[in-house]
Amino acid sequence: MSLHAQDDPQLRAAQEERLRAVWKPPSGLFLRWTDTNNNRVGVWYTLTAFGFMLFAGVLALIMRTQLAVPDNDLVSANTFNQLFTLHGSMMMFLFAVPMFEAVSIILLPQLLGARDLPFPRLSAFGYWSFLLGGVFVGGSIFFNAAPDGGWFMYPPLTTRTDLSGLGADIWMLGLSFIEVSSVAAAVELIVGVLKCRPPGMRLNLMPLYAWYILVVAVMILFAFPPLIAGDLLFEMERLLNWPFFDAARGGDPLLWQHLFWIFGHPEVYIVFLPSIALFAMMIPTFAQRHLLGYPWIVLAAVGTAFLSFGLWVHHMFATGLPKISLAFFSAASEAVAIPTGVQIFAFIATLWAGKVKWSTPLLYASGSLAVFVIGGLTGVMVAVAPFDWQAHDTYFVVAHLHYVLIGGTLLPLFGGLYYYWPLITGKKLSDRLGRIAFWIMFVGINLTFFPMHLSGLEGMPRRVFTYPEELGIGWLNLASTAGSYMFATGVAVLVVDLMLSPTRTKSPRNPWNAGTLEWLAHPDDEDWGIRSVPLVESRYPIWDQKNFVAKVDEGRFFLPDAEEGRRETIITSVLDAKPVSVIRLGTPSVKPMLTAVALGSVFILTTYHLYLIAALGGVVTLGCILWWLWDTAEIPEKPEKPIGHGMRLSLYISGPAAPGWWAMFITMMADATAFSGLVFGYYFYWTIHLDFGAGFDEPGSGGPLMALALSLASWAATLSAREVHGWGSVTAARGLLIAGAVTAVGSLFAGLACLDGLDPEANVYPAIVWVLVVWTVVHAAVAAIMQLYTLARSIAGRMTPTHDADIRNITVYMHFFALTAIVTYLTIGLFPETGL
Amino acid sequence: MRGKSSATLIVTANVLAGCNTHQSTLAPFGVDAADIRHLFIIMLVGAVVIAGGVALLMRHAVRAPEGSIDHRKGMRIVLWLGGIIPTIVLLALLAYSLPYMKPRPASPADLTIAVDGEQFWWRVAYAPPGRAPILSANEIRIPTGRTVAFRLSGGDVVHSFWIPGLAGKMDMIPGRINSLVVRAEKPGRYRGQCAEFCGLSHALMAFDVIAMPPAAFDAWLAEQARPARPSDDPGARLFAANGCSGCHGIAGVTAPSRIGPDLTHFGSRRTLAAGILPMTTANVAKFIRHPEKTKPGVRMPSFPQLSDDEGVALARYLQGLK
Amino acid sequence: MKRWLKRAHRLRVTLWTLIVPPTTWAVHFLFSYLWVAISCERIGQWALFPTAFAIGTVVALIVILASGVIAWQQSRTPGDPPPHNEGTDIDRLRFLAYSTMLLAGLSFVAVIFTAMPVLMLGDCR
Repeated sequence: MSLHAQDDPQLRAAQEERLRAVWKPPSGLFLRWTDTNNNRVGVWYTLTAFGFMLFAGVLALIMRTQLAVPDNDLVSANTFNQLFTLHGSMMMFLFAVPMFEAVSIILLPQLLGARDLPFPRLSAFGYWSFLLGGVFVGGSIFFNAAPDGGWFMYPPLTTRTDLSGLGADIWMLGLSFIEVSSVAAAVELIVGVLKCRPPGMRLNLMPLYAWYILVVAVMILFAFPPLIAGDLLFEMERLLNWPFFDAARGGDPLLWQHLFWIFGHPEVYIVFLPSIALFAMMIPTFAQRHLLGYPWIVLAAVGTAFLSFGLWVHHMFATGLPKISLAFFSAASEAVAIPTGVQIFAFIATLWAGKVKWSTPLLYASGSLAVFVIGGLTGVMVAVAPFDWQAHDTYFVVAHLHYVLIGGTLLPLFGGLYYYWPLITGKKLSDRLGRIAFWIMFVGINLTFFPMHLSGLEGMPRRVFTYPEELGIGWLNLASTAGSYMFATGVAVLVVDLMLSPTRTKSPRNPWNAGTLEWLAHPDDEDWGIRSVPLVESRYPIWDQKNFVAKVDEGRFFLPDAEEGRRETIITSVLDAKPVSVIRLGTPSVKPMLTAVALGSVFILTTYHLYLIAALGGVVTLGCILWWLWDTAEIPEKPEKPIGHGMRLSLYISGPAAPGWWAMFITMMADATAFSGLVFGYYFYWTIHLDFGAGFDEPGSGGPLMALALSLASWAATLSAREVHGWGSVTAARGLLIAGAVTAVGSLFAGLACLDGLDPEANVYPAIVWVLVVWTVVHAAVAAIMQLYTLARSIAGRMTPTHDADIRNITVYMHFFALTAIVTYLTIGLFPETGL
Repeated sequence: MRGKSSATLIVTANVLAGCNTHQSTLAPFGVDAADIRHLFIIMLVGAVVIAGGVALLMRHAVRAPEGSIDHRKGMRIVLWLGGIIPTIVLLALLAYSLPYMKPRPASPADLTIAVDGEQFWWRVAYAPPGRAPILSANEIRIPTGRTVAFRLSGGDVVHSFWIPGLAGKMDMIPGRINSLVVRAEKPGRYRGQCAEFCGLSHALMAFDVIAMPPAAFDAWLAEQARPARPSDDPGARLFAANGCSGCHGIAGVTAPSRIGPDLTHFGSRRTLAAGILPMTTANVAKFIRHPEKTKPGVRMPSFPQLSDDEGVALARYLQGLK
Repeated sequence: MKRWLKRAHRLRVTLWTLIVPPTTWAVHFLFSYLWVAISCERIGQWALFPTAFAIGTVVALIVILASGVIAWQQSRTPGDPPPHNEGTDIDRLRFLAYSTMLLAGLSFVAVIFTAMPVLMLGDCR
């Protein structure tokens, strides 16, 4: 196919017909919900998260009404505690994080000129998990069973079953489920950014939004797993009475605080950076020039991501840790303001250098910057530990965090809404209503939250359902309440504007005259995403590359056709985006939805202590996953295909060039991080107890070393299987896989044997040993399942020496499994008796 | 005292805020709270200057015509305003604030007060050097001009000990003992409150703080060491008959208890139910009969079987424990 | 020295080298935290002179400085003024190297921030 071939309108029409047929969404009352196209799933995702935000906002309004006057009794203490717990939890877990994932699922493929993200079904799975878990957690308030321990759920208040009810389990298990879906989305987004860029889009030409998403998704990978580890310990204490946080039996409530905030602080930046990413897209458009200081923005994103993991103890300044430990975190908390400053001044400099086109999205952007700067400055204040000893857990912090989250997440998202609405619907929102909504909200926000600085300093702690008149803060609270209603009115105006959208006429394509790829989207968008995958030579190709839009539309770039009737997108190399291969994407399927329901049942049934049915749900989940995987990594009908311009790309890749390999690697990074959370727990207890482990039947060294040897044997067998399989010895590889599975099962039993005589309810030492071993043997079981699955693929002819993605992918798993086994068995086998 | 003019500013703010001077970080009576207020004022001034500067710059940037600055100048703005100046300011702030973190030194000769947070009240034990500990609850008295060391722990769940006018807060964590060393300067009546969410009545967990001149304090403490006299009044009999001593100790009458608040000098306290109700006979009687009406989730059982008169008699007896 | 700097040009630059400086900061930070936790909680006293900490800090600063110098060398563009925004091999290299250099600067400052408390507080309370 040459450039000239595309001159033929008939050929183009035929191509479009084929593309349209391939990307046709499923229809029908139920089947339409099995869609996996990023556009549609992303929209569902966004709307659901928006809905949860409105719901959580209403909860806040009830709280503000209760606090309007001193000694009010509109709602009971019990209801109030559920309200603030759910407000915080929903805004963080059901709005801020999912919203960024949702927006990215819509935008990323368009920004990267890809037809879809590499794992459309994974996005759909993430959405259904999110919906199910969100309704479960949010709906609990209608049964007076909502969690009531605060969004941080500090034990022992929340772990003691005599002090807290079902709500704690709902929080822990419902949100763990959502954390799983967040990690799934992170995998999708990382692989999307690294492997699905259009040819020529080298790292230095990547839209900044993609940089931010890459950074944020990696942060999710390291931030969420410690919380998942904490959730595990927490539920073990609640359901099985293992004393991780019970001081009487050697536990320590502080371990939870560490694990929670190792998640909790990066979380703040996880929800902040994507909104800054929206700025980074909007500001060049409205300044009509390239963003100044591209590498500086990358510096800021990466630097913030790293530093944000050194801040967690600033939520624990008042816990009595050694002052010098606190000081380290105080120092890092101040240092993190530096990259934030860099970003803000890069935006200001860009506006300065460019020709500013004033518009509603830019109004939101500047308003949020103003709000955020105030929040950032009070953030520097509370980073100073002595001041935090006063401000901590008071309304000062409530003010600070709302300034940061509203200025750094909510208003930028609203700005993004006005900016990107034409991209999704083809219609602009009303500038007038948008401005009215903005000003009502802006005044409302400041009226709500600014007085809180003062009420906090005047001695009002957080999370109080009432306050006495003698504190003299009645009028400050009344102002806050009035402000909150004003804020809500502004949001209502915005919602009205959205509702009126269907009545409006379409706007022209690319109405803001932006320069980045996502604006190729046409008002009457087709489901195929992009007509042809462009060759990118600039950061702003629509501005800089000649005839760019027309060339894309006429299919003059790559992959303008779907000859084989398959959904396809191009995979490129990480650094320089050199085309590597064409992959076939997952099509609409009911599998993601069923898997989400099955997995959800495990979490939800466990909440109600229905362990047997939950276990059954676990088996069904495993079945669903295997059923789902069976279609993946399929062997193509021909080795390669032309993508235009005389270029031919392979239709099958395996190993580090393949998205599947990356997905496995990234998932295992998250898994290893969760495991390190548990190991941190072990050494944490060792640090605080001079006699850690003394007086217990320790597992000794023999058993653990035996289990370790078997685990390593299983690893070596898989590794050898991969090698000999590559040489063509299929039979030998199959034999090795069987040996690997047998030794993995052996290590499972050897691991469990180490636990003999250790009573996990007695003390934290046996309990943490149990958790480490159980974690490791579950991984051994999964290893065995993977090896048998690979064996089955080989026997079924779905894996051959030239098409060996499966065995390469499980080898990645086995590396991590071996690492887990080494750490666990050496820790329990050689520690603590040979320790200091 | 540092920062005279800024102190005026704060006083103005206080007046505007309705004049709360007994539970406010802006109206300190202790050295540490005063230091922190000083630190706050410095940061506040800095923050106002920076916020104003950024806002003006932003306004200027948006209004400036195209090409007002070129790439080089733009990068200089990012480097200096975004990178170097913030680094220097923050480094200076860190260096300035670190010394404030140093805990006040305490010697074994200083008075130690052990306070345990309980759902939803405060267990207090004064331990003057070389003398037997004196039990109390829900009220803390300290001498002015002397160093006092608090030993803080959580009895059931995590609480946080916070007297805004005296010093920063310190968490009370089960299984851990935290130390907070303070020095009060101005005598007076103040208030403290639990600052870490601890359950249903977290909002209703406060206490009175009374800072006294040293001599008055010594006299008071000596008075507190004196046990109550056994009495035969009807209230005392009700106290025994209803099993109150199962949870509450009255030195000289019953054994000390590890469960509820000590009542030896109950009548000398200003408030009831951890700083929630004024100490009146009616309130005491009401609280004994239905404590959960005042405090949701309270651990004390209710005594609805007591008649109005019995409630009042019991209350009178307890109030008589001065 | 010059020869060494020249050699720096030939080193491979990837996404992994980009995160060397901040990772060094992270390792140093973790090390500081653990060192204090073990000195204060486990051993129960402050070392007379924090030798381990001083060595750790100097090593971290040297690693960051070295990666910064290498990156600076790689991003240098004599006779070719910025911006370097082209889709070419050299501009992609310059971009990664320049970002690495900036990250080295930030990480260097951050390590100094972390070291400040030890200089100024210096005990376990």
